Amino acid sequence: MISVQGVSRNYGRVKALDGVSFTVPKGQVLGMLGQNGAGKTSLLNIMSGYLPITQGSIQIHGFDVAREPLKAKAHIGYLPENPPLYAEMTVREYLRFCCAIKRVQQKDQAAHISQIAQMTGLQEVLGRRISNLSKGFRQRVGLAQALCGAPDVLLLDEPTSGFDPSQAVEFRGIISSLSGKHTIIISSHILTEVQAICDRVIILHQGRLLYDHPVTENNEGKQSARFHLRVKMPRQALLRALRSLPSVLRVDPTAARGDETDVTIDAKTNGGFEEELFTLLSGLQVPILRLTTMAESMEDIFLRITSPGSVRGAAS
Amino acid sequence: MIAILKRELQSYFLTPLGYIFLGVFLIIASLVFQINNVATLSSDMFGFLSMMSYVWMLLCPVLVMRLLAGERKQLTDQLLMTAPLSSAEIVLGKYFAACMMLLISTALSLFYPLLVSIHGRIYPMELLTGYLGFTLQGFAFIAFDLMLSALTASPISAAALCFGANLLLWLSGLLSTSSTLRIAGEVLSFFNLYERFTPFLHAQLSLANVVFFLLFSFVCIIACVQIVQSRRWSEAA
Repeated sequence: MISVQGVSRNYGRVKALDGVSFTVPKGQVLGMLGQNGAGKTSLLNIMSGYLPITQGSIQIHGFDVAREPLKAKAHIGYLPENPPLYAEMTVREYLRFCCAIKRVQQKDQAAHISQIAQMTGLQEVLGRRISNLSKGFRQRVGLAQALCGAPDVLLLDEPTSGFDPSQAVEFRGIISSLSGKHTIIISSHILTEVQAICDRVIILHQGRLLYDHPVTENNEGKQSARFHLRVKMPRQALLRALRSLPSVLRVDPTAARGDETDVTIDAKTNGGFEEELFTLLSGLQVPILRLTTMAESMEDIFLRITSPGSVRGAAS
Repeated sequence: MIAILKRELQSYFLTPLGYIFLGVFLIIASLVFQINNVATLSSDMFGFLSMMSYVWMLLCPVLVMRLLAGERKQLTDQLLMTAPLSSAEIVLGKYFAACMMLLISTALSLFYPLLVSIHGRIYPMELLTGYLGFTLQGFAFIAFDLMLSALTASPISAAALCFGANLLLWLSGLLSTSSTLRIAGEVLSFFNLYERFTPFLHAQLSLANVVFFLLFSFVCIIACVQIVQSRRWSEAA
């Protein structure tokens, strides 16, 4: 559905995007994370055909955005960070205009607008001037314009920025209801939002794609996993015993209460760590009080990847 | 293109801009009519049209200032540039909307010849020729100003730029007569929109001048499309 291949974009000498490549299959919701200036908005502007590519290619529904822009744009609905609204128009007039420029047949426009208004919760304000609407409703109107013409691809640039928590939750609900029917790319600063509504996450840092994984499988494909262990055993003896296991990469004590010790363990994912641990502790006759897998949160991943010392390389 | 034209035309009347344009145009037209016809008890409408032709220099910048520069300032150009529309469709839609406003104001100004016809005598065909030149000159000014407004991202800057350029166009006519270089004078005279209008005021339907106004508008529109297109490809680069 969407294919981004080796996309670079320069602003003078500054490289905003540097060889970004990924594909998004039909119906997937892709979250795009990154710090300010990471290149998220530039990438969305390029994908929507608003800005040109310095290098690389983007295909939307099989059409190259640079070579066949009008055909590619016919499949795109774009909600920029600041919704492009004509404040002097009513919501209905504005959506009718959006339908017209997106080639919706005139006879179908009324039904199409009614359907979009229902999806985005705009029925009550269709006759109101956009200048009189709250920020939340303006954002909905922006989303509604992106939905005009029933595009296959939705590009949403920070769609909930500036919302209060309840507005953000409501807006996320609308976006979630669109998933499956549309291929969606959402750029956001809000990590929980991306985790809540996206199937997959990519992280851009300094114009490069450094992370690309499904949301539910943050540990999948990684070399190691982190565990939390609580046992009845003196700290030093426990650390010594655990470090002797071949699958253990790192052990850090976290707490000690009486004769109980808590540690975090980084172990190889396919090294049979659990089996080694059970054999070790049963041999020592040490009861295991707790053993849990610690999944890396999106925040951990984001901070790890965007920290100053992060390795700049291909998506990991 | 029709959708853009409709929206722009609607926008003129949803904002004060359209009313300001028509209001100022009619106030000036009334004053000119008073000076040229009522005060002198003259039925000569060519003097009226001749004086009114300078109004385009003042008012066309007001008509076009928001069309492209305003879109850029408000970032609504993102809607148009990411829709399946060509740059030519966008520019033409906006151009024809401004032309429609100009036609409305021109049609309203027909009230004055109508008033003259009640109390005196007018020559319809000659008047029509004068009005044709008046309208074509207005269309040329809109195309010229639209092209210039595409260079800026601020409506106020666009209006100032257009007004300055229109003034220069007028001054070029004066320079052409005082130029010591004959060729320079001829070139300046060739592009002088005011001078091109003069034959129409003498009831001469000059095909050369009709073609000139149409070609001038066409070239300005092509240049405007190119500016819009190239700006996209050089944006912030």
